[in-house]
Amino acid sequence: MAQDTGGAKDAGQWITAAKPEYTVLIDEKQIVTQKYGMVNVPTGVWIDERGRIVRPNEVAFIDDRFKSFTNMDSAPYIEAIRDWVKNGSKSAFVLSESELKARLKPQRDERARADVEFALGEYLYKAGKSADAIPHFKEAQRLDPDNWNYKRQAWALSDAERDYGTNFRKEVQKLNGKPYYEPHKLPEKKKN
Amino acid sequence: MPKLFLVLTILIIGGAFVAAAAQTTHTIVYDGIATEVSVAAGAPNELWITTSDLTRATRFAIKPQGVCRDELCFPLPKNRKSEFISRKGETTWFNLTEFARLIKQPFVTDQKNGVWYFGSRAAEQNQYLASLEAPNFTLPDLSGKVHSLSDFQGKKVLLVTWASW
Repeated sequence: MAQDTGGAKDAGQWITAAKPEYTVLIDEKQIVTQKYGMVNVPTGVWIDERGRIVRPNEVAFIDDRFKSFTNMDSAPYIEAIRDWVKNGSKSAFVLSESELKARLKPQRDERARADVEFALGEYLYKAGKSADAIPHFKEAQRLDPDNWNYKRQAWALSDAERDYGTNFRKEVQKLNGKPYYEPHKLPEKKKN
Repeated sequence: MPKLFLVLTILIIGGAFVAAAAQTTHTIVYDGIATEVSVAAGAPNELWITTSDLTRATRFAIKPQGVCRDELCFPLPKNRKSEFISRKGETTWFNLTEFARLIKQPFVTDQKNGVWYFGSRAAEQNQYLASLEAPNFTLPDLSGKVHSLSDFQGKKVLLVTWASW
């Protein structure tokens, strides 16, 4: 699921190069980011055969190509996915209803406002008003400061240094080694 | 006769000018769809549109039981009706921003470009927290073919987001 305002123009080359055997969709209005309250890429959500969430938003690196930058080993997550495929609802990685309800929170008002600011920024950007889009992107970033999707996408649509006085690497460096994503909460031991 | 014609012409042009000054064209984005509407002049954070534009832009219509779209109806508070509906001559105007505040729908405006963007109602956005049903969406693949999450019912779905940036 490509979260790209530039749509096929920006995401297409990566999809073609990956030669996927799975479905790859292009989300140029950040619809999935908004509906699921996501803040980062890659984000994974597990959905069962009945269409119910069994693991909500979490960091989902599926290989180690960015490991030197992220310090995240993808193996435990891949192992968890394999366990779910094999064991279904009996997998130790499938969350109970109470665990899910503890993790899923109602949307904050600031996030709701950030979503519309960002969406208006995208609308103006696509209407050829890229300079007018920037104040709305900045407001979205101010309202939802942990939302890296809204930061990184806006920065990618212009000269980030000139228009925002920063860039992704600089912002990650400011964290002094703290990851820019929330680490996994995978169980230590499997029940089966 | 030519004099009278001139006076009438000035009166007609003058009348049209007054009408044009009182209304401007703005864009409403509702459910992700942009519609151009006539907007009544007024406070900058209030969006008054005609009831026909209301239906054209949002599919909501004013009915005796409230402001409705399909099965969904929001009654207007009885003692505050004038904050939502105003009749001027033949035209009925509706305050879409006050309605958004009533139904807890976030919105934002860009005054310079005359664009108003309305988002999802909080109740709609938070629906899945109780049901745990994954919110449905419909999006295209690279060839333009559209797929919905609901097409995958009966299979496990690993939804993974990424981006070119």
